[in-house]
Amino acid sequence: MTAATLPALSVSGLRAGYGHGADIVRGIDFDLPPESIVAVIGPNGSGKSSFVKTLAGLLDVRAGSVSVTGQDVTHETPARRVAAGLAYVPQEANVFPSLSIRENLKLATEFLRGRAGVGAERQEHVLSLFPDLALRMRTRAGDLSGGQRQMLAFASALLANPEVLLLDEPSAGLSPKFVEQTMEAIARVRAAGVTVLLVEQNVAAALKIADEVAVLVAGHLTLRTEAKLVDHTALGELFFAKVA
Amino acid sequence: MAAQLFFNGLVTGLLLALPALALTLVFGVLKFANFAVGSMMTLGAYAAWVANYHFKMPLVTSAVIAAVVVALTAAITNTLVFERLRDRGAIVLLVASMGVSLVIENICRFLFGNNAQGFDVLVSRPIRWMGVRINSEQIMTAAVVIVCLVVLDVVLRLTPLGRAMRAVADNAALAAVRGVERRVIATLTWMIVGGLLGLAGTLAGLDRAIDPLMGWNYQIPIFAAAILGGLGSPLGAVIGALVIGIAEEMSALIIPTNYRQAVSFTAILLLLLFRANGLLGAKAVRK
Repeated sequence: MTAATLPALSVSGLRAGYGHGADIVRGIDFDLPPESIVAVIGPNGSGKSSFVKTLAGLLDVRAGSVSVTGQDVTHETPARRVAAGLAYVPQEANVFPSLSIRENLKLATEFLRGRAGVGAERQEHVLSLFPDLALRMRTRAGDLSGGQRQMLAFASALLANPEVLLLDEPSAGLSPKFVEQTMEAIARVRAAGVTVLLVEQNVAAALKIADEVAVLVAGHLTLRTEAKLVDHTALGELFFAKVA
Repeated sequence: MAAQLFFNGLVTGLLLALPALALTLVFGVLKFANFAVGSMMTLGAYAAWVANYHFKMPLVTSAVIAAVVVALTAAITNTLVFERLRDRGAIVLLVASMGVSLVIENICRFLFGNNAQGFDVLVSRPIRWMGVRINSEQIMTAAVVIVCLVVLDVVLRLTPLGRAMRAVADNAALAAVRGVERRVIATLTWMIVGGLLGLAGTLAGLDRAIDPLMGWNYQIPIFAAAILGGLGSPLGAVIGALVIGIAEEMSALIIPTNYRQAVSFTAILLLLLFRANGLLGAKAVRK
């Protein structure tokens, strides 16, 4: 496989869970084509957030493998995964509230030794995607609104010049206006050449920008299809199907 | 009399500020209360005493050696004990720190015995300023602590390490996915904490006799200072230390000096009852 055809993210037989408990992620095989947006949807408790946390390195892999543009990161720390090109924006608590916007952005790159393209030019480019942030660099992140925090979290993740951006329910808790802005921002991020894995509860919003949809039910990937071909009735049945 | 007590309290408060900061840094970044602060101070005092008394080094050099010894001890202790127990929660780590404290105290006892020791320094005549007697040890304590506070403030606010420490204190998981290696930051935090405790131990050794239980005498005021300021808040720890130091000394006006630690106990009791987050804790702890 050439570099051009390598998946941006490749997951094979992935299993993970918390502590000594049962597996939450139960054997997922998953490829993410470069420069695409793939939405991962599913009912509450289906393991979507656990799946994306495992990819980010916050949950230990029990079996299987994860690679980013062909580089195996299965047993790497979260910090090394960022250096390998895998950035993650958590659902909640996705900025450092006691740090200013400037400090949040500085921190996003100053420990990424060896990662190419994370200099001042990158910062200028990222701030051009989120112009509101540039106007209030000294504001404490804890004083921002939910939507502004989301933008700061995106910007921080993008400063690492990632190959793949993992987003965990970016629309959660946002007003409809901010949901729309957030989805537009994600589309801009993809247009800038970043591959996006979008975990989302808001199916309608996700389908508007996604190229493909993957449905996760009870820790299993039960459907993968193009977003425009999604059959909403079949999707509803899948959401409520009992998976062994 | 009151002015003299106030001044003595100010210096005692400054002396408490370093270990209170050390306690609050560990609590903020590593999320547990380190009961080994007192014994690490004791170790610092003995390290400085060995350099000063046995190797005839000047006190400043001895203090630097003490800071390095305790910094390395703290980093090694982190690797051998705290890092291994990290996933077991704050209570397990707190109990482990009590064990570490007993080990350090008894190593000091084994190596240096139970007899009280003192630094080999020239006794100088105190100066008088506006009726207040000021001795050279108090001037040295104030100068060292103020320099440490300024340096630490600069490190925490303006350097990548400081930002990383504050980020880990805010949200360790998020810091990890921003490229910050938690383990590295934990080790560096312990080294800073050890350095502060080594210097604090040396300064405490100027104030009183060095013996294996020396650090225990500071334990309650240190906790009172950190809780008063709001555990996790560096500025709060300094303010808390000054308040506790001054309150303990000024209490001599109304209670016998033997009971002055009652001030710290009372402060802890009242704070836990009525304002558990301390003076600045609401901002520092509640996010």
